[in-house]
Amino acid sequence: MTHDMISRLLRKNTSPARIAGFVISNLVGLAIMGVGLQFWLDARSLWNQKDSFLKSDYLAINKIVDASTMLGNADQDFSAEDIGELEAQPWVEKVGRFSKADFRVYASVALGGSAPGDSTGDATPARNMSTAMFFEAVPADFLDLKGSSFTWDSSNPDVPIIISKDYLALYNFGFASSAGLPKLSEAMVSGLPLRLTLASDDGSRRLQLYGHVAGYSNRFNTILVPQEFLDEMNSRLGSGRSTGVSRLIVDVNSPGDAAIAPWLASKGWEQAGDKESGAAAYMLHVVSGIIIAIGSIITLLSLAILCLSMSLLMEKNRRKLHSLLMLGFPVKDVARPYWHLTAISAITAGVLALGCVLLLRNYYLAPLQSLGAEGDGLVWTILMLTLLTLVIIFINSRMITRRVLKAWSK
Amino acid sequence: MHNNDALPSAHTAAEREHIERITLCDMLPKVFAGENIPHSEIWLTRLTFERGHHYLIEAPSGGGKSSLMAYIYGARRDYEGTLLFNDRPAADLSISSWQRIRRQNIAFLPQELDLFPELSCIENIRLKNNLTGHQPEERIDEWLERLGIAFRRDYPAGKMSIGQQQRLAIIRALCMPFDFILLDEPVSHLDSANNLIAAEIISEEALRQGAAVISTSVGNPLLLHSAENLKL
Repeated sequence: MTHDMISRLLRKNTSPARIAGFVISNLVGLAIMGVGLQFWLDARSLWNQKDSFLKSDYLAINKIVDASTMLGNADQDFSAEDIGELEAQPWVEKVGRFSKADFRVYASVALGGSAPGDSTGDATPARNMSTAMFFEAVPADFLDLKGSSFTWDSSNPDVPIIISKDYLALYNFGFASSAGLPKLSEAMVSGLPLRLTLASDDGSRRLQLYGHVAGYSNRFNTILVPQEFLDEMNSRLGSGRSTGVSRLIVDVNSPGDAAIAPWLASKGWEQAGDKESGAAAYMLHVVSGIIIAIGSIITLLSLAILCLSMSLLMEKNRRKLHSLLMLGFPVKDVARPYWHLTAISAITAGVLALGCVLLLRNYYLAPLQSLGAEGDGLVWTILMLTLLTLVIIFINSRMITRRVLKAWSK
Repeated sequence: MHNNDALPSAHTAAEREHIERITLCDMLPKVFAGENIPHSEIWLTRLTFERGHHYLIEAPSGGGKSSLMAYIYGARRDYEGTLLFNDRPAADLSISSWQRIRRQNIAFLPQELDLFPELSCIENIRLKNNLTGHQPEERIDEWLERLGIAFRRDYPAGKMSIGQQQRLAIIRALCMPFDFILLDEPVSHLDSANNLIAAEIISEEALRQGAAVISTSVGNPLLLHSAENLKL
């Protein structure tokens, strides 16, 4: 009953418009921050798709091919100085070299025909596809080989191969549809045995082997085989001339680093694979950052509105605050009605902001997922909104206590 | 729900620490510093108020009696010299100690009464009495009767006459355990009959609590028996 009376006394002069002003501005600020954060969380998987066999953030770098390189005037290979310079960049963790095959490769696949292990394989009127191709390899410590079959030794002659995802897309959407051939899924292709014919440059030495597609890469436009296989074949079939390094694999701290692209451009080098996704990921970070910054500014302003309206209210009731203190009421009893008012408004704004985030998320989540985003939980957003609400309540409570004490003397 | 658990109740009053004396050592309002002060029995001397005694402080307007009350009640600190509760300097007291003293040791009736005009007469009293849990309802009713404002019990305090408000404020000031009661011109708007009744009630309650009464006036003193007169 005493608390009721104190509340009645101290809440007099409360302006519903000012409180509503705080709730709305706080709601807008928190909702913008919440949506910004949640969207970033939901969308970032779009750009963070990792190749299952790659440890983490690798770039493949090569020199840009232009007219001068075509004419053979410029060196397409990286020199030792080039590599040293690259290694000195702050965003570089380590640099690896792509090894090239020093022999010719032909691969064929029998679609619908008998298995290539079958001695009558060639006779089957199946659709045989064959192509000349090439192999490259990267050092094993750039690959996540744990639990994977991407190894080779002479006792197990089946060669695992990693191809670019783009190659499969090129076949499925470019070639197969126009040539009336069936479209192939990743799993199907992985199940197809490949017959490989390796030949030395002069054709004097030949080797027949079987291989299979062990994985797909988003990041490398190449055909990778295990390093030990390439080394072995180079020694058996190679001409012995040393091959230059025309591509590098680089372990970077953060692939979205804004310093990478301009540095590469200044050297006349380029990053293979997901250049666009790097830019898009960068844009996602920047735009989310801007949205969250705008939201924080609005939230800060709403905090100022709350502080000001509480101050104004308490200033109007200053005489009563003084009288209550003169009667011997503890400071917390006198401050409590204002603490409650603050807490109720801030929690209302926080809960409504979460509601807004959920509502907006409903609209964007389905299209985003159709683009391949995995989405994320709400934990971080709820945590952020809770934390901000608590901070707002805390800052205001401190201000309220100070204001109560200011009413000590008239 | 008569009383809230969060608030100190009557039980704590039983073990409360008493203030036996209030001592003023060379005290002077800062605004008077450097001025030529005419002889005063309070400022710039050593003066002790003892529990159980009655004091009447007479002063001309502007003599600083309301300041003295505010100093003793902790509402103001703009004085030179030292104020001691027992032997402890009042300047060292924390906010919460002051609030406890205001619930358990020193009652105060300010000159401007400090009532809440939007609360009724009885609500103004209950606000304080619920905080201290000190006076039984019957005694409050008896006082309202004796002071002739029982018919205003549920009337908004702001609409009562000044004389009625003064009587209400006296009752409210008595709604706590105290060692000293400070009354700043408590009967300035009362006729002599009501003055006598107020003096009676205050003396009774002070006697019951073994407390001291310190009352000020500018010419219409509270009609207390055997009070020591002091001139500011």
